[in-house]
Amino acid sequence: MKMKLAIIGLIIATTFFAPLTSTFARGDDFDAVVKAIEQFYHVKHQSLPLLARAGMKGARTVARVRGGDYKRLADAGSVRLVFFEDQEFNSHGRIAGFKASIQSTLNEAWSPLIATLSAKDEEQTYIYIRDAGAKFHVLVVTIERREATVVEATVAPDVLAMLMKDPNEMGKTLTDDAALNNNQEPIP
Amino acid sequence: MKTLFQTSLRLAAVMLLLLGGAAITAHAQGARLQIDQLDSLANRASETVDVKLDERLMATTAKIFSGKDDEDIKEILKGLKGIYVKSFEFEKEGQYSPADVESVMSQLRGGGWSKIVGVRSKKDGDNVDVYLMMQGDQIEGLAVISAEPKEFTVVNIVGPVNLEKLTKLEGQFGVPDLGLDQPKPKKSKLVP
Repeated sequence: MKMKLAIIGLIIATTFFAPLTSTFARGDDFDAVVKAIEQFYHVKHQSLPLLARAGMKGARTVARVRGGDYKRLADAGSVRLVFFEDQEFNSHGRIAGFKASIQSTLNEAWSPLIATLSAKDEEQTYIYIRDAGAKFHVLVVTIERREATVVEATVAPDVLAMLMKDPNEMGKTLTDDAALNNNQEPIP
Repeated sequence: MKTLFQTSLRLAAVMLLLLGGAAITAHAQGARLQIDQLDSLANRASETVDVKLDERLMATTAKIFSGKDDEDIKEILKGLKGIYVKSFEFEKEGQYSPADVESVMSQLRGGGWSKIVGVRSKKDGDNVDVYLMMQGDQIEGLAVISAEPKEFTVVNIVGPVNLEKLTKLEGQFGVPDLGLDQPKPKKSKLVP
Protein backbone atom coordinates (compact mmCIF):
# COMPACT_ATOMS: atom_id res chain seq x y z
CA MET A 1 0.00 0.00 0.00
CA LYS A 2 2.81 2.35 1.00
CA MET A 3 4.64 1.49 -2.21
CA LYS A 4 1.52 2.29 -4.30
CA LEU A 5 1.10 5.63 -2.52
CA ALA A 6 4.76 6.47 -3.10
CA ILE A 7 4.45 5.70 -6.82
CA ILE A 8 1.26 7.75 -7.15
CA GLY A 9 2.94 10.60 -5.27
CA LEU A 10 5.94 10.43 -7.57
CA ILE A 11 3.70 10.51 -10.68
CA ILE A 12 1.77 13.52 -9.35
CA ALA A 13 4.99 15.33 -8.43
CA THR A 14 6.50 14.64 -11.86
CA THR A 15 3.33 15.77 -13.69
CA PHE A 16 3.08 19.04 -11.79
CA PHE A 17 6.70 19.97 -11.35
CA ALA A 18 8.29 18.84 -14.64
CA PRO A 19 6.92 21.77 -16.71
CA LEU A 20 7.86 24.12 -13.89
CA THR A 21 11.42 22.78 -13.84
CA SER A 22 11.64 23.19 -17.60
CA THR A 23 10.43 26.80 -17.37
CA PHE A 24 12.98 27.56 -14.69
CA ALA A 25 15.75 25.88 -16.69
CA ARG A 26 14.93 28.08 -19.68
CA GLY A 27 14.74 31.19 -17.59
CA ASP A 28 17.92 30.37 -15.68
CA ASP A 29 20.22 30.48 -18.69
CA PHE A 30 18.86 33.78 -19.96
CA ASP A 31 18.89 35.36 -16.50
CA ALA A 32 22.34 33.97 -15.75
CA VAL A 33 23.76 35.60 -18.89
CA VAL A 34 22.14 38.93 -17.99
CA LYS A 35 23.61 38.63 -14.48
CA ALA A 36 27.05 37.74 -15.90
CA ILE A 37 27.02 40.95 -17.97
CA GLU A 38 25.93 42.99 -14.96
CA GLN A 39 28.66 41.54 -12.77
CA PHE A 40 31.48 41.82 -15.30
CA TYR A 41 30.70 45.33 -16.50
CA HIS A 42 29.03 46.69 -13.35
CA VAL A 43 25.92 47.70 -15.29
CA LYS A 44 22.18 47.22 -14.80
CA HIS A 45 19.65 46.06 -17.36
CA GLN A 46 16.69 48.32 -18.00
CA SER A 47 13.09 48.13 -18.97
CA LEU A 48 12.37 49.01 -22.55
CA PRO A 49 12.27 52.84 -22.68
CA LEU A 50 9.10 54.47 -23.92
CA LEU A 51 10.91 56.12 -26.80
CA ALA A 52 12.33 52.79 -27.92
CA ARG A 53 8.88 51.25 -27.78
CA ALA A 54 7.57 54.07 -29.92
CA GLY A 55 10.46 53.59 -32.36
CA MET A 56 9.76 49.89 -32.60
CA LYS A 57 6.08 50.50 -33.17
CA GLY A 58 7.04 52.80 -36.02
CA ALA A 59 9.42 50.25 -37.48
CA ARG A 60 6.78 47.55 -37.22
CA THR A 61 4.26 49.75 -38.98
CA VAL A 62 6.77 50.39 -41.77
CA ALA A 63 7.39 46.64 -42.01
CA ARG A 64 3.67 45.97 -42.29
CA VAL A 65 3.16 48.70 -44.88
CA ARG A 66 5.88 47.12 -46.98
CA GLY A 67 3.70 44.04 -47.17
CA GLY A 68 5.50 40.79 -47.82
CA ASP A 69 8.99 42.14 -47.13
CA TYR A 70 8.94 41.53 -43.41
CA LYS A 71 8.82 38.00 -42.16
CA ARG A 72 9.04 37.29 -38.47
CA LEU A 73 11.99 35.01 -37.75
CA ALA A 74 11.30 34.02 -34.17
CA ASP A 75 8.19 32.14 -33.10
CA ALA A 76 5.48 34.44 -31.77
CA GLY A 77 5.69 34.80 -28.01
CA SER A 78 9.04 33.04 -27.79
CA VAL A 79 11.21 36.13 -27.58
CA ARG A 80 12.88 37.32 -24.40
CA LEU A 81 14.76 40.56 -24.67
CA VAL A 82 16.80 42.66 -22.26
CA PHE A 83 18.41 46.03 -23.01
CA PHE A 84 21.31 47.83 -21.39
CA GLU A 85 21.33 51.44 -22.55
CA ASP A 86 23.62 54.41 -22.08
CA GLN A 87 26.04 52.58 -19.79
CA GLU A 88 29.77 52.00 -20.09
CA PHE A 89 30.92 48.62 -21.37
CA ASN A 90 34.66 48.67 -20.83
CA SER A 91 36.43 45.34 -20.42
CA HIS A 92 39.71 47.08 -19.47
CA GLY A 93 41.73 44.83 -21.78
CA ARG A 94 40.08 41.64 -20.53
CA ILE A 95 37.57 41.02 -23.30
CA ALA A 96 38.67 37.37 -23.46
CA GLY A 97 37.80 37.06 -19.78
CA PHE A 98 34.24 38.11 -20.50
CA LYS A 99 34.02 35.53 -23.29
CA ALA A 100 35.14 32.84 -20.85
CA SER A 101 32.64 34.02 -18.25
CA ILE A 102 29.72 33.79 -20.72
CA GLN A 103 30.89 30.33 -21.77
CA SER A 104 31.04 29.08 -18.20
CA THR A 105 27.67 30.63 -17.35
CA LEU A 106 25.74 28.64 -19.94
CA ASN A 107 25.08 24.97 -19.40
CA GLU A 108 26.33 22.32 -21.81
CA ALA A 109 23.04 22.11 -23.70
CA TRP A 110 23.97 25.35 -25.47
CA SER A 111 26.33 25.01 -28.43
CA PRO A 112 28.41 28.10 -29.13
CA LEU A 113 28.06 28.93 -32.81
CA ILE A 114 30.01 32.11 -33.28
CA ALA A 115 31.67 34.82 -31.25
CA THR A 116 32.99 38.03 -32.78
CA LEU A 117 34.98 40.43 -30.64
CA SER A 118 36.62 43.76 -31.22
CA ALA A 119 38.70 44.73 -28.20
CA LYS A 120 39.41 48.23 -29.52
CA ASP A 121 35.77 49.13 -30.13
CA GLU A 122 34.47 47.01 -27.23
CA GLU A 123 32.07 45.30 -29.61
CA GLN A 124 31.05 41.69 -29.11
CA THR A 125 28.45 39.29 -30.47
CA TYR A 126 27.86 35.79 -29.13
CA ILE A 127 25.41 33.30 -30.62
CA TYR A 128 24.47 30.07 -28.88
CA ILE A 129 22.09 27.38 -30.13
CA ARG A 130 20.15 24.75 -28.21
CA ASP A 131 18.10 21.90 -29.64
CA ALA A 132 14.42 22.21 -28.64
CA GLY A 133 12.82 19.17 -30.22
CA ALA A 134 11.34 20.20 -33.54
CA LYS A 135 12.79 23.72 -33.21
CA PHE A 136 15.84 25.51 -31.83
CA HIS A 137 16.47 28.03 -29.11
CA VAL A 138 18.88 30.78 -30.11
CA LEU A 139 20.58 33.08 -27.63
CA VAL A 140 22.21 36.25 -28.93
CA VAL A 141 24.33 38.58 -26.80
CA THR A 142 25.36 41.87 -28.42
CA ILE A 143 27.59 44.35 -26.64
CA GLU A 144 28.78 47.74 -27.82
CA ARG A 145 30.63 50.51 -26.03
CA ARG A 146 27.48 52.15 -24.63
CA GLU A 147 24.74 49.52 -24.99
CA ALA A 148 24.00 45.82 -25.00
CA THR A 149 21.14 43.42 -25.72
CA VAL A 150 20.41 39.84 -24.78
CA VAL A 151 17.85 38.01 -26.91
CA GLU A 152 16.54 34.48 -26.58
CA ALA A 153 14.13 33.17 -29.20
CA THR A 154 12.75 29.96 -30.60
CA VAL A 155 13.21 29.55 -34.34
CA ALA A 156 12.18 26.95 -36.89
CA PRO A 157 14.93 24.84 -38.53
CA ASP A 158 14.52 26.58 -41.93
CA VAL A 159 15.01 29.99 -40.30
CA LEU A 160 18.10 28.73 -38.49
CA ALA A 161 19.45 27.30 -41.77
CA MET A 162 19.03 30.70 -43.40
CA LEU A 163 20.71 32.50 -40.49
CA MET A 164 23.59 30.03 -40.16
CA LYS A 165 24.76 30.68 -43.70
CA ASP A 166 25.83 34.12 -42.57
CA PRO A 167 26.45 33.90 -38.83
CA ASN A 168 28.11 37.32 -38.76
CA GLU A 169 24.79 38.94 -39.68
CA MET A 170 22.74 36.44 -37.69
CA GLY A 171 22.96 38.26 -34.36
CA LYS A 172 21.94 41.59 -35.82
CA THR A 173 19.08 40.08 -37.82
CA LEU A 174 17.67 38.23 -34.82
CA THR A 175 18.02 41.21 -32.49
CA ASP A 176 16.28 43.48 -35.01
CA ASP A 177 13.54 40.89 -35.38
CA ALA A 178 13.13 40.66 -31.62
CA ALA A 179 12.84 44.44 -31.41
CA LEU A 180 10.07 44.34 -34.00
CA ASN A 181 8.30 41.44 -32.37
CA ASN A 182 5.20 42.57 -30.49
CA ASN A 183 4.87 39.34 -28.49
CA GLN A 184 7.77 39.80 -26.10
CA GLU A 185 7.52 38.54 -22.60
CA PRO A 186 7.25 41.36 -20.07
CA ILE A 187 10.61 42.73 -19.00
CA PRO A 188 11.10 42.91 -15.24
CA MET B 1 56.41 -4.73 3.67
CA LYS B 2 53.22 -6.41 2.48
CA THR B 3 51.37 -3.09 2.80
CA LEU B 4 54.03 -1.34 0.74
CA PHE B 5 53.74 -4.01 -1.93
CA GLN B 6 49.95 -3.69 -1.99
CA THR B 7 50.18 0.10 -2.18
CA SER B 8 52.66 -0.17 -5.08
CA LEU B 9 50.33 -2.54 -6.89
CA ARG B 10 47.40 -0.17 -6.42
CA LEU B 11 49.50 2.76 -7.62
CA ALA B 12 50.61 0.78 -10.66
CA ALA B 13 46.98 -0.10 -11.44
CA VAL B 14 45.94 3.55 -11.12
CA MET B 15 48.85 4.63 -13.37
CA LEU B 16 47.84 2.03 -15.98
CA LEU B 17 44.24 3.21 -15.87
CA LEU B 18 45.33 6.83 -16.27
CA LEU B 19 47.63 6.01 -19.17
CA GLY B 20 44.94 3.89 -20.82
CA GLY B 21 42.43 6.66 -20.34
CA ALA B 22 44.79 9.22 -21.88
CA ALA B 23 45.36 6.95 -24.90
CA ILE B 24 41.63 6.45 -25.40
CA THR B 25 41.01 10.21 -25.12
CA ALA B 26 43.74 10.96 -27.66
CA HIS B 27 42.28 8.43 -30.10
CA ALA B 28 38.69 9.68 -29.65
CA GLN B 29 39.86 13.26 -30.07
CA GLY B 30 41.15 12.37 -33.55
CA ALA B 31 41.44 15.35 -35.83
CA ARG B 32 40.06 17.87 -33.32
CA LEU B 33 42.77 20.38 -32.45
CA GLN B 34 42.99 22.12 -29.10
CA ILE B 35 42.80 25.80 -30.01
CA ASP B 36 41.04 27.34 -27.02
CA GLN B 37 44.45 28.34 -25.61
CA LEU B 38 44.47 31.06 -28.29
CA ASP B 39 41.45 32.81 -26.77
CA SER B 40 43.59 35.25 -24.77
CA LEU B 41 44.78 36.77 -28.08
CA ALA B 42 41.34 38.41 -28.30
CA ASN B 43 42.54 40.93 -25.69
CA ARG B 44 45.11 42.26 -28.18
CA ALA B 45 43.29 41.63 -31.46
CA SER B 46 41.37 44.35 -33.23
CA GLU B 47 38.97 41.73 -34.63
CA THR B 48 38.36 38.19 -33.40
CA VAL B 49 36.10 35.60 -34.99
CA ASP B 50 35.51 32.31 -33.20
CA VAL B 51 33.29 29.77 -34.96
CA LYS B 52 32.39 26.50 -33.31
CA LEU B 53 30.13 24.02 -35.01
CA ASP B 54 30.65 21.23 -32.53
CA GLU B 55 29.72 17.56 -32.83
CA ARG B 56 26.31 18.07 -31.21
CA LEU B 57 25.43 20.90 -33.56
CA MET B 58 26.72 18.97 -36.58
CA ALA B 59 24.47 16.05 -35.60
CA THR B 60 21.44 18.32 -35.99
CA THR B 61 22.40 19.69 -39.41
CA ALA B 62 20.13 17.14 -41.11
CA LYS B 63 17.23 18.73 -39.23
CA ILE B 64 18.42 22.29 -39.89
CA PHE B 65 19.17 21.87 -43.59
CA SER B 66 16.16 19.88 -44.70
CA GLY B 67 15.01 22.13 -47.55
CA LYS B 68 15.41 21.32 -51.23
CA ASP B 69 17.81 24.24 -51.68
CA ASP B 70 20.07 22.87 -48.97
CA GLU B 71 21.02 19.60 -50.71
CA ASP B 72 24.53 20.86 -51.54
CA ILE B 73 25.26 22.00 -48.00
CA LYS B 74 23.79 18.84 -46.53
CA GLU B 75 26.10 16.79 -48.76
CA ILE B 76 29.20 18.74 -47.65
CA LEU B 77 28.31 18.57 -43.98
CA LYS B 78 27.34 14.89 -44.11
CA GLY B 79 29.57 12.94 -41.75
CA LEU B 80 31.47 16.00 -40.52
CA LYS B 81 31.99 16.08 -36.77
CA GLY B 82 32.96 19.68 -36.36
CA ILE B 83 34.06 22.96 -37.91
CA TYR B 84 36.21 25.22 -35.76
CA VAL B 85 37.65 28.57 -36.79
CA LYS B 86 39.64 31.09 -34.80
CA SER B 87 40.75 34.21 -36.60
CA PHE B 88 42.57 37.19 -35.10
CA GLU B 89 43.35 40.48 -36.82
CA PHE B 90 45.79 42.89 -35.21
CA GLU B 91 46.52 46.57 -35.74
CA LYS B 92 50.26 46.13 -35.27
CA GLU B 93 52.76 43.40 -36.02
CA GLY B 94 54.15 41.19 -33.27
CA GLN B 95 50.90 40.96 -31.32
CA TYR B 96 50.95 37.18 -31.33
CA SER B 97 54.01 35.11 -30.54
CA PRO B 98 55.71 32.14 -32.22
CA ALA B 99 54.66 30.20 -29.09
CA ASP B 100 51.00 30.82 -29.99
CA VAL B 101 51.58 29.33 -33.44
CA GLU B 102 53.65 26.50 -32.00
CA SER B 103 50.84 25.57 -29.57
CA VAL B 104 48.84 24.52 -32.65
CA MET B 105 51.66 23.32 -34.91
CA SER B 106 52.96 20.93 -32.24
CA GLN B 107 49.68 19.02 -32.45
CA LEU B 108 50.14 18.57 -36.18
CA ARG B 109 53.49 16.83 -35.93
CA GLY B 110 52.82 13.12 -36.11
CA GLY B 111 49.48 11.83 -34.92
CA GLY B 112 48.46 11.04 -38.49
CA TRP B 113 48.71 14.59 -39.81
CA SER B 114 50.59 15.31 -43.04
CA LYS B 115 51.31 18.67 -44.60
CA ILE B 116 49.91 18.94 -48.12
CA VAL B 117 50.52 22.62 -48.78
CA GLY B 118 53.08 25.01 -47.31
CA VAL B 119 53.41 28.56 -48.57
CA ARG B 120 56.08 30.97 -47.31
CA SER B 121 56.33 34.56 -48.46
CA LYS B 122 59.51 36.30 -47.30
CA LYS B 123 58.29 39.58 -48.77
CA ASP B 124 54.91 39.68 -47.05
CA GLY B 125 55.76 37.39 -44.15
CA ASP B 126 52.75 35.22 -44.90
CA ASN B 127 52.85 31.56 -43.89
CA VAL B 128 50.05 29.21 -44.83
CA ASP B 129 50.09 25.50 -44.05
CA VAL B 130 47.42 22.97 -44.92
CA TYR B 131 47.42 19.62 -43.14
CA LEU B 132 45.32 16.51 -43.67
CA MET B 133 44.70 13.61 -41.34
CA MET B 134 44.21 10.40 -43.31
CA GLN B 135 42.74 7.10 -42.22
CA GLY B 136 43.52 4.79 -45.10
CA ASP B 137 42.07 6.51 -48.17
CA GLN B 138 39.65 8.58 -46.17
CA ILE B 139 40.31 12.11 -44.95
CA GLU B 140 39.61 12.33 -41.23
CA GLY B 141 40.37 15.97 -40.76
CA LEU B 142 41.78 19.16 -42.18
CA ALA B 143 43.74 21.97 -40.61
CA VAL B 144 44.68 25.32 -42.14
CA ILE B 145 47.09 27.56 -40.26
CA SER B 146 47.56 31.01 -41.72
CA ALA B 147 50.11 33.18 -39.92
CA GLU B 148 50.52 36.66 -41.36
CA PRO B 149 52.20 39.62 -39.66
CA LYS B 150 48.88 41.14 -38.61
CA GLU B 151 46.59 38.14 -38.85
CA PHE B 152 46.50 34.65 -37.40
CA THR B 153 43.85 32.14 -38.47
CA VAL B 154 43.32 28.49 -37.62
CA VAL B 155 40.66 26.41 -39.37
CA ASN B 156 40.00 22.87 -38.20
CA ILE B 157 37.47 20.61 -39.90
CA VAL B 158 36.87 17.25 -38.25
CA GLY B 159 35.46 14.30 -40.17
CA PRO B 160 35.49 13.04 -43.75
CA VAL B 161 36.21 16.20 -45.74
CA ASN B 162 35.37 16.29 -49.41
CA LEU B 163 38.13 18.53 -50.75
CA GLU B 164 36.34 19.18 -54.05
CA LYS B 165 33.25 20.42 -52.26
CA LEU B 166 35.12 22.18 -49.48
CA THR B 167 35.29 25.40 -51.47
CA LYS B 168 31.52 25.70 -51.06
CA LEU B 169 32.04 26.13 -47.31
CA GLU B 170 34.21 29.21 -47.85
CA GLY B 171 32.33 32.33 -46.85
CA GLN B 172 29.61 30.28 -45.15
CA PHE B 173 29.20 29.32 -41.49
CA GLY B 174 31.88 31.89 -40.68
CA VAL B 175 34.56 29.91 -42.58
CA PRO B 176 36.90 32.47 -44.15
CA ASP B 177 38.07 32.42 -47.75
CA LEU B 178 40.79 29.78 -47.63
CA GLY B 179 41.92 30.35 -51.19
CA LEU B 180 41.12 26.74 -52.04
CA ASP B 181 40.30 27.08 -55.71
CA GLN B 182 38.12 24.55 -57.48
CA PRO B 183 40.21 22.31 -59.73
CA LYS B 184 39.83 23.74 -63.18
CA PRO B 185 39.17 21.36 -66.08
CA LYS B 186 42.03 21.23 -68.60
CA LYS B 187 41.36 23.20 -71.73
CA SER B 188 41.17 20.95 -74.76
CA LYS B 189 42.71 22.26 -77.93
CA LEU B 190 40.25 23.11 -80.60
CA VAL B 191 40.78 21.10 -83.72
CA PRO B 192 40.01 23.16 -86.81
